[in-house]
Amino acid sequence: MTIILILASLFLLLLLGVPVAFALGGTGLGMLILGGFSPLMAPQSILSTLDGFILLAVPLFLLMSNLLLKGGVGRDLFAAVQAWVGHWPGGLAIATIISCGLFAAISGSSVATAATIGTVAIPEMINRGYDKRFVYGLLAAGGTLGILIPPSIPMIVYGFVTEQSVIALFLAGIGPGLLLVTLFILFAMIHARLSGNFDDVPKACMSEKIMASKRALPSVALAALVIIGLYSGAFTPTEAAAVGSTAALFIVAFWLRTLTWATLWEAIQESAITTAAILLIVAGAKVFGKAIALYRIPQDISAFLAQTIEGPIMFILVVSIVLLLMGLVFEALSMILIMTPVLLPAALGLGFDPIWFGIFMVIMVECALITPPVGLNLYVIQSVARTSLGNVARGVWPFLTLMLLTVAILYIFPNLALYIPFKW
Amino acid sequence: MAATGAMLTYEVIARYFFIKPTIWAAELSQLCLIWGCLLAMAHLLTARRHITVNAVTSLLPNTFQKICVAIALAVVILFSAIVTVWGYEIFYDSFIRGRTTGSLLNLPVWIAEASVPVGFGLLTIQGVGELITLSSSGLFSLGASHE
Repeated sequence: MTIILILASLFLLLLLGVPVAFALGGTGLGMLILGGFSPLMAPQSILSTLDGFILLAVPLFLLMSNLLLKGGVGRDLFAAVQAWVGHWPGGLAIATIISCGLFAAISGSSVATAATIGTVAIPEMINRGYDKRFVYGLLAAGGTLGILIPPSIPMIVYGFVTEQSVIALFLAGIGPGLLLVTLFILFAMIHARLSGNFDDVPKACMSEKIMASKRALPSVALAALVIIGLYSGAFTPTEAAAVGSTAALFIVAFWLRTLTWATLWEAIQESAITTAAILLIVAGAKVFGKAIALYRIPQDISAFLAQTIEGPIMFILVVSIVLLLMGLVFEALSMILIMTPVLLPAALGLGFDPIWFGIFMVIMVECALITPPVGLNLYVIQSVARTSLGNVARGVWPFLTLMLLTVAILYIFPNLALYIPFKW
Repeated sequence: MAATGAMLTYEVIARYFFIKPTIWAAELSQLCLIWGCLLAMAHLLTARRHITVNAVTSLLPNTFQKICVAIALAVVILFSAIVTVWGYEIFYDSFIRGRTTGSLLNLPVWIAEASVPVGFGLLTIQGVGELITLSSSGLFSLGASHE
């Protein structure tokens, strides 16, 4: 009963438009006071959240991708990939997906990925006669790769609240990320074969390929540096983010020479604002998490699930449906922060690996990013392409199906995620 | 916000030389993060950059939207007022006892802890201000969805 009351009041506050950070923190604080616990725990939790060294990676990764973004790296990446694969059947679509995957490897955000690649790829593809809805769906879905392929802000946050290794999460995201890229590419090729109502792109000559690659190379090298550095243990995620953002500054300032003082300032400001908004939610969620732990709610939910749900597969099915429904109105980070403390104990009780569960959660919130009425990537593509939300939403469903297929494959073969971090 | 940005950049440069034993870099940058985030709260409220779920409220007529914003502001004010008071307790206690971080740098802990009453205090004031001017302002939501 208490559980229902607590969740109901939390959702009521959220839906009334209370900022997520304060809805979470407020519910938590209310529970602390009503339950006779010391309200001192609220400021303590906030302080201990912001004092987490791992969360320093958030502003630094944001800065890294914002710098590259302002430096026009999205355009360069797309141009380079297009020069290599543009003449294949459905080549532009394939180039778009690969560009999304590459940009995802330097950015921890789906919205940034969709916006960056979308701005260059959408006009290009529509000019070549690709079906508009397919293009919008492709970009909205391709953008979600941003949080599955490392670095990833939601993974840092998940690692922080569950006290799991962020490096392991990052590495575990690679396998499913590549699978998703492959599925998207296959779908794009089949779609191209079946529809065929677009112009082919002329094959680029070798010198064009080299020219285009030269501009994109440093960004790709930077992504590789970050991942290899993390994998080899040369640096922690926070250090990787610091090195990455410094390197990004050098790339846009000295190699591409596209950085001005004004854009540098914009990039810094943008990163700072987003960081504060994200970390405040994490702090609010920490207060909430502390309160529900004191009320022993996660244990109650585990016990309830253990009685009513038979076996892990039913659990994952139920959780997927709950997350899909939540995803209709909630955005990614809030979903992870609200549901992880509630669900993880039950998941562990059923024998799921916490890293695997993190990757599962990330793919599920990716779906949330592209399900209407509230899906950030839908909004982004809508505003980039200046079209209706309905058009984007109708284009998205085949990709949504592929993402759910990935979840199913991940369930059957957990090693898809766990092989790289633990067995390689 | 200006300071946050500058400190972040400084922090990047500091961390870049992480091969050198920089005892101070990690701790100082952590401090920047704490102060930066908590000082930014009030700014985020004015700039409408707090992350908010407005799928439901945006469907309501304007008067109801106003009421929702008023409720939301009241929650923000109540929460920050309580946190300001208890945050001050923590800060005051450490300040009187002269607690330090116990790291090599051995900073007094109150430097970090003071950020809570200051940040939330500012937010409370900002919230009250917003609430007073609400009826005349064109404010229908406290923020936007963002990642």
